[in-house]
Amino acid sequence: MLDDVRVGFTSALSSVKRGNKKTLMFIIFVLALIFMNLIFLPSFIGGISSMFTNFMDYSYGDIVIEPPGENPYISNSDNVLQKVRAIPDVKSATKRLDAGVSIQYNQKVVGSTLTGLIPSEEYGVSNYPYIIKEGEFLGDLSQDEIILGGMLVQGYFGSEIYDNLGTVRVGSLVNVTYANNIERTYKVRGIMEGTFELVDLNALISYEEIEDVFSLNGSKATSIVIKIEDNADPAEVKQKIILAGVKEPVFTSNEKSDAILRQAMQSIDMIHVVSNIVSLIVGAALIFIIIYINTLHRKREIGILKAVGITPGSIRISYVFISIFYVVMGILVGLIIYFSLMFYFTRNPVLFYENINLVPEIQGGLIIKSIFKMLGMSVIAGFIPAWFVTRKSILDAIWGR
Amino acid sequence: MGKIMEKEKIAIRVQDLVRHYNTDGIMVKALNGVSFEIHKGEFIAIMGPSGSGKTTMLRILGLLDKPTKGNYTINNLNVVDLPEEERNYYRLTQLGYVFQDYALINEMSVAENVYILSLMEGKSKSESISTAKEALEKVGLGDKLDRVPNQLSGGEKQRVAIARAIAKKPRILFADEPCANLDTQTSRQVLEVLNTLNKKFGQTIVMVTHEAWHTSYASRLIQLRDGLIVNDKKLRG
Repeated sequence: MLDDVRVGFTSALSSVKRGNKKTLMFIIFVLALIFMNLIFLPSFIGGISSMFTNFMDYSYGDIVIEPPGENPYISNSDNVLQKVRAIPDVKSATKRLDAGVSIQYNQKVVGSTLTGLIPSEEYGVSNYPYIIKEGEFLGDLSQDEIILGGMLVQGYFGSEIYDNLGTVRVGSLVNVTYANNIERTYKVRGIMEGTFELVDLNALISYEEIEDVFSLNGSKATSIVIKIEDNADPAEVKQKIILAGVKEPVFTSNEKSDAILRQAMQSIDMIHVVSNIVSLIVGAALIFIIIYINTLHRKREIGILKAVGITPGSIRISYVFISIFYVVMGILVGLIIYFSLMFYFTRNPVLFYENINLVPEIQGGLIIKSIFKMLGMSVIAGFIPAWFVTRKSILDAIWGR
Repeated sequence: MGKIMEKEKIAIRVQDLVRHYNTDGIMVKALNGVSFEIHKGEFIAIMGPSGSGKTTMLRILGLLDKPTKGNYTINNLNVVDLPEEERNYYRLTQLGYVFQDYALINEMSVAENVYILSLMEGKSKSESISTAKEALEKVGLGDKLDRVPNQLSGGEKQRVAIARAIAKKPRILFADEPCANLDTQTSRQVLEVLNTLNKKFGQTIVMVTHEAWHTSYASRLIQLRDGLIVNDKKLRG
């Protein structure tokens, strides 16, 4: 066996060293494209998927707990939070209070949802703190201050679609009327833009403010939003939350997501899976065809090697080595092209839906998986044709029959 | 005692060898029952018109093909029913085969073409290289180890093929029209190499040829016609 490997390696090395360089370059180029096909489109799809996931993060984090039945609030949400935070896969959690309001600035009035939140806790749960385009995010000591969604402000993303508050800016005073007819005046502390309707039509204020307006006590909340560890499965964590004794309804963000958004994400995931399978099949077929043609081209050589006493095993090993060499070179060239394109598209993102920048996502796991898939295919693609040819009689192989 | 000694002298014993094969629905009777013996140290020339069965016979003796019927032994070993793996090993260690069209691997250097067989036999790389060098020096190509076949003349290629065949010191060397593609002068060089191997090193050689003057190097001539031996005579020795 060791002799087979030594002879196979020597034979493969000569073949690569002295083989036709143009053919070698062509094979490597095609293999590089096959590898690119395995990782490039999925990177874009991954980018879209991440974009939608980020949208979901604002409202629901990874998991959201809501009031039971017809109750408007979760009672004693601090107790629920305590149970949730004790679960190992939970990274962070916070409570929120939502209220329907109308906001007035000068003569303009718009309806909106005002979310009362604990600002310092939002950093670990949602993207709200990171999408402030003007002014600043709320602080835990903020009083009588409000953050407006971009769609409520003239000139921001999507503001032309619905009514907006016109020229309101950071520092402007707006009047907010709650469902219980309490009216309060707040100073605009910041304007946020998430390029997503569910976010940009909302406004944010401190949790205590809503609690105060509705005279709530006992740590009421309209939702508890939970962020889990990166490698944790939301469905599994949801079960753990239920097992921890949380009686309120628990939803994963996927379950809670808007129907259209959910459908879009499912479609994207499906495209992702289909594209992966198709790429893999096309890649496997192409690698196989390239190596098979290359091997058939050397049928006579294989016959000669057999005729002089080289074992079929070492001939097969030689073709597996050659095949691995082609594929490794193809992967290296593919990676150079891939990272060059990623570098370009990161600096020049594809414009998606007016002004959403779609940035492809470099997925290390996907790249490593694709490298292993390519190497696996190369072993099979090198072995099978060589196995076929070495099974032929010496004279048939030499005569190319 | 005499029988045992006689047996030890025999390199190949062929008994009623038949080879029929089907080509595009036509039955070709290449060999129709040939029997003969070849002694160690003989230089046999096999002649005959095209289609007489000489190449077919050489391929069968060289374990590249199998007979339809009949028996033959090489160095007293019945090789007809040897499993493929053992035939391969026997080819590697006991037999050398020189093809009409050199059959060199173009992507390997002259040295690699020769030493790869020693590697296969389990020798170390340095040992294999020195064996190859020795064989190439025997055929006068000791200075062309790093060339590739495409950089050699026809005669040189054939001498590399001979070096490859003799490097492993085979018991029997088969040569299938080794001078078919060569001019007279180059053919003479190749035949001189074979002659030296036979006379100086006692190498048993079985050579198929078309040219009558090539037989002047041989010690015995076997002539075939229609798959049968029509003449078998000693030429010298």
